[in-house]
Amino acid sequence: MSKFDRRTFLRTTGAAAAGALLPLSAPPLIRSARAAGTVKLGCLFSSSGTMANLEGRMNFVAKMAAEEINAAGGVNGSTIEVVTSDPASDWPLYAQIGRQMLSETKVAALFGCWTSVSRKSVLPVVEQNNGLLFYPLHFEGDENSKNVVYVNSPPASSVLPAVDYLMSPDGVEAKRFFMVGSDYVWPRTINKQLKGYWKTKGIEESAWKEEYVPFSFSNFQTIVNQIRAFADAPGGKLVVVLTVVGSSIPDFMREFANQGISSSDVPVLGLDMVEADLEGLDTQKLVGHLNCWAYLQQAKGEANQKFLKSWSDYVGRTKAPFRPDVAIDPMVSTYDAVHLWALAAKKAGSFDVPEVQKAFAGLSFDCPSGYKIGMTAENNYVSRGVFIGSVNDSQGFDVLWQSEDTPKPVPMSPYG
Amino acid sequence: MIAPKPPLPARALDDRVFAGVAAATLLAFAAVALWPGLSGYRVNIIGQLACFALLAVALDLIWGYAGILSLGHGLFFAIGGYVAGMHLLEHSVATTGVTPDIVQFMGWTALPAWWAPLGSFPVALLAAIAVSFGAAFAFGWVSFRSRVGGVYFAIITQALVYVAMLLMFRNDTGFGGNNGMTGFQMIFGVPFQSPSVATGLALASLGVLGVTLVGCRLLMVGRFGRLLVATRDDEIRLRSLGYDTLRLKLAVWCLSAVIAAIAGLLYVPQVGIINPRVLSPELSLEIAVWCAIGGRGRLAGAVIGAVLVNAIKFSLSATLPELWPFVLSGLVILVALIFPNGLLDIGRWRPALLSRPGALRPQDAAS
Amino acid sequence: MWWRALFAGLFGAILTCGAAAAAFDRAAIASQICGGAAGMTDAANAMLAGLVDATTDDARWAAALSGAAIDRSLKCGPQDPAIVAPEGAVNAATLSPVEGSVGTSPLLSLKNRPLFETVRAAATLRSGAAVNDRGAALTALERRAGSLRPEFFEKAAEAETDAGLRSRILAVGQAALLNSPDMSKRIAAIERIAATPDRRSLTRIEALKSDPAYQTDPGFRMAVDGGVASIGRWLSVSNALNVFYNGLSIASILFMASAGLAIIFGLMGVINLAQGEFIMIGAYVAYAVQEALRAVAPGLIDWYLIAAIPVVFLATAGIGVALEATIVRRLYTRPLMTLLATWAVSLLLVNLMRVTVGTQNLQFVTPWYISGGRLLMGDFIVTWNRLFAIVFAGLTLGLTWFVLKRTPLGLNIRAVTQNRAMAGCVGVATRRVDMMAFGLGSGLAGLAGLALCPIYNVNPQMGSNFIVDSFMVVVLGGVGTLAGTAFAALGVGQINVLIEPLYGAVAAKVIVLLMIIAFLQWRPEGLYAVKGRRK
Repeated sequence: MSKFDRRTFLRTTGAAAAGALLPLSAPPLIRSARAAGTVKLGCLFSSSGTMANLEGRMNFVAKMAAEEINAAGGVNGSTIEVVTSDPASDWPLYAQIGRQMLSETKVAALFGCWTSVSRKSVLPVVEQNNGLLFYPLHFEGDENSKNVVYVNSPPASSVLPAVDYLMSPDGVEAKRFFMVGSDYVWPRTINKQLKGYWKTKGIEESAWKEEYVPFSFSNFQTIVNQIRAFADAPGGKLVVVLTVVGSSIPDFMREFANQGISSSDVPVLGLDMVEADLEGLDTQKLVGHLNCWAYLQQAKGEANQKFLKSWSDYVGRTKAPFRPDVAIDPMVSTYDAVHLWALAAKKAGSFDVPEVQKAFAGLSFDCPSGYKIGMTAENNYVSRGVFIGSVNDSQGFDVLWQSEDTPKPVPMSPYG
Repeated sequence: MIAPKPPLPARALDDRVFAGVAAATLLAFAAVALWPGLSGYRVNIIGQLACFALLAVALDLIWGYAGILSLGHGLFFAIGGYVAGMHLLEHSVATTGVTPDIVQFMGWTALPAWWAPLGSFPVALLAAIAVSFGAAFAFGWVSFRSRVGGVYFAIITQALVYVAMLLMFRNDTGFGGNNGMTGFQMIFGVPFQSPSVATGLALASLGVLGVTLVGCRLLMVGRFGRLLVATRDDEIRLRSLGYDTLRLKLAVWCLSAVIAAIAGLLYVPQVGIINPRVLSPELSLEIAVWCAIGGRGRLAGAVIGAVLVNAIKFSLSATLPELWPFVLSGLVILVALIFPNGLLDIGRWRPALLSRPGALRPQDAAS
Repeated sequence: MWWRALFAGLFGAILTCGAAAAAFDRAAIASQICGGAAGMTDAANAMLAGLVDATTDDARWAAALSGAAIDRSLKCGPQDPAIVAPEGAVNAATLSPVEGSVGTSPLLSLKNRPLFETVRAAATLRSGAAVNDRGAALTALERRAGSLRPEFFEKAAEAETDAGLRSRILAVGQAALLNSPDMSKRIAAIERIAATPDRRSLTRIEALKSDPAYQTDPGFRMAVDGGVASIGRWLSVSNALNVFYNGLSIASILFMASAGLAIIFGLMGVINLAQGEFIMIGAYVAYAVQEALRAVAPGLIDWYLIAAIPVVFLATAGIGVALEATIVRRLYTRPLMTLLATWAVSLLLVNLMRVTVGTQNLQFVTPWYISGGRLLMGDFIVTWNRLFAIVFAGLTLGLTWFVLKRTPLGLNIRAVTQNRAMAGCVGVATRRVDMMAFGLGSGLAGLAGLALCPIYNVNPQMGSNFIVDSFMVVVLGGVGTLAGTAFAALGVGQINVLIEPLYGAVAAKVIVLLMIIAFLQWRPEGLYAVKGRRK
């Protein structure tokens, strides 16, 4: 009793109370999004944790797109302000921050998420708060929320055309498939749909194998051994459909090359593989492996040149810690997303979500990919072109094949 | 090894701080219940903080009082969380008839039949308690019997929670894999959009926190608590005096696990998702960090630590995300070096302590 | 782009008139090669067919053209197809210099790539200047021998000057005669194929069981059955070797990651959760050494992994000593607090690295000695980067063992590990020993980072993957014994790869960890317990 006086008591309980009340008095962030002639857009991309290297750059792309729109006079008389955050690759934190941005910061729309898990965690939040989430990644489909704009392609309009190409005489007449994926919903759903698709093509079940590895798995020796053995078994050309994500991609490719398998023996279709995954790899031995996206850096056209130039200028100006000479699909999709939102808001003459939603139908935008991408009244999917890229020896992808037009996105897969 | 014994906790200080924390809990309860100016978002934050505080209290029972550090308490939290997830999914299907996402991406046609009983809340609550108790009992019994303790126990529990995380990440394990469970529609027949849900959950969390605090406090100042502290300080002597320390440790270990599970049960409806991330070793370690920052072995410290750390985390990760890891690591190092018994020691801090690195001080040996 | 093909074809036709008569219609081929995917296929097939009787000069030209198509120095444009080299552009048909060629490089389709690789290898075999080049070309052809006419190998063998290579060519040629009408050649081909006992050979020979001759010709049947049996035997051996090698590779990584931890934990009972970050820092220092070499001595850049060894060790050991002196030392009596403090340090280090260097994977040069691998026998492949890690781990084990057993520092470390109080009484400066040991442990972690650069991605997060695994290895091995750690790593690695093909990678890890947890409940002191005072 004697060791303790009134002042210390006040100090400690004061600290406790301050701790308890801190979030209540917390960020004097933004009272209302439109108060000072600005409109807020929120970003949900991690700049720390496992996804940081991939997601981090999108914060800058969103800001760059906003700058472009502001320079052209803003939207509905307001200038855009992009609010970034760091969900730290922690899926529930995406929901938490999303909720805060919608209900406290009062952002007009959210842009974010890379993995399907993070999208699934934010989904109930945007639905309950009637917000808008622009999701820039290609994904497994089978989802159709009116509060999410799926800027990138579902499998039916990205993965299936690529697999079709591989099975065609123009490709390699692939007859057998080895699927390696990270153990979560995107790879599993993609593989499920692929298997359903192959069944409709009369391919036997013995013609494929499936392996799943945990996130950030890196010891691919055994699996690559299995692939070599399967490739040498009878039955026709083998193709690896790679749906591992994050750091597992370079680890897999490195082991694959080291075990002496080249793309002319067994081509790998890396569905989530982007330029950033080849950083730090010796791509001489990986030349010819494939990926499949709605944008590749080598896409032809003025829109792409303009985009690449503004990105490298932007990185030079802001000292963003990313390579100025690398542009990946999700960056372009984020860029498209901000522009699509601005177009919709302009068309609606309002920032209110229901108004903006109504304005989506019939929007179109000149995407850096060279395609005119658009939305219809049918759903919140954006129709995009398809590219198949082929790894070159300078850690990039060349365009091996691209679609004639933008295939109509099919949200729900008919293949199981 | 005979460690220098720490003095009994400074009762008076603890009493007052505890009273302060209990009062703050009550105040928060009143504010959530009565103050209309509190936005739904903030009510939700308060509810979550209460759950974290409850989790920290659970760990404090076992670490602070019994001296056993578990780096795997996320396991029990997750048990409660997953039970809550299954309950909410069952309940949502029963009331709205909408098929949840999990059915689709798991390739099921409906939720597994054995989940059906969990649709009733009392059953779910019992299940959470029973499973966490059972798991804790089985693991604790084996470990304490073979006298695994100290750092070893910490490492093994960390491995255990890591194993659980790997298992739950697998889709084939059957609990939604990496996605976990999400998309809950209804709770107790009320749709989640309704603002009363956030208020109700926050009130429930604060209520449970308050009751647990008072209950544990009574337990710990009594004979049981004193015996626990004695076990912590010199188990061999206590054993040779004829006390069954295995039972003592097992009892507090299971109690701690059940409280952690209830915290998880309350937490999941408030964040709307449960996935294996709560089983990551980092989260379990963070719980220990909350306790260490607040101060171990006095319950109130755990609450203060949990609330303080998470409040800063919430506000920083949205406004100054770059800063958060530096703040947290700085805070931990500061506490480790300067306030060995947590921030509750601020009142007793003397700069002189700094000048004797490595010197044993009586209150240090508590771990 | 049919018009371009037509255009180029016309051009080619005009050129052919002027060219001297040769086995190859070079101009026609050169124009076909710019005619889209189908044209490229035609060009490759034409070259393959022509190579049987081609002159050395023609073969050299075919090698140049197919090589240009593969490495994309071939340019197709409005002008003649050209090959661009650092010395300047040359006409693809005549190889005579042309002025600044414009155009784009046609991209090899998936189907054309192996075709062109075969052409290049076959042409090099016919025209390569060095025996080594021709030998390498033959190795490349071995797997694709079936796509060449058998006469090709006969002709190539005739022209070959090196006796060793000639017999190899003949042997490969034999294997290509699997479908020859001459039964003795067929049987020789089967025996030849069975001499390379891999799954591919097995598939090829097993397919012969449905051949009519299998029923009618007993000699043929015996050859097939014998081939299948012999390959099967070798395959099971090579599979076992693969498993062993993969296990050894995982074990070496585990050992490297936990050796330093074992010393620190054994000596001080301190759990250093920042161990993973020392691994990360080690890799970053190796990167810094690589960049320094690039600036100072670019010729030596391939040896950065070796040059970095002392630098990495000293740098991480220095950071370790600093950490010990500032934080760990003050917390010796509170091991659980040390655990939290080192966790905070690890958080700090990761984020410092993230903010200062960035989150991207570091770009390492891949020197020749860690790139690729070699098929030793059947399907058993040794990959150099993992062999590097295995050898590195072995050397580290040896050196650390030497330090601990044969040096005064090691003697002191062992004394303090076994009985701190008594060691202090007889005059060992235990504080100093602690500091040195912490430095040694951190240095070893840094070396682990160095050994991991050729295997894993190097980024700020990389350290966090090792923590749980390496602690389990240390505890399983028994605290304070390096041999225990090594055995535990070996055991965990081998069991892991044995389970993985059965239940998958996740289950393997889960099962191994559960086994360790169960084992530790039964025997908390681990595999090897140091005889000393139990703490």
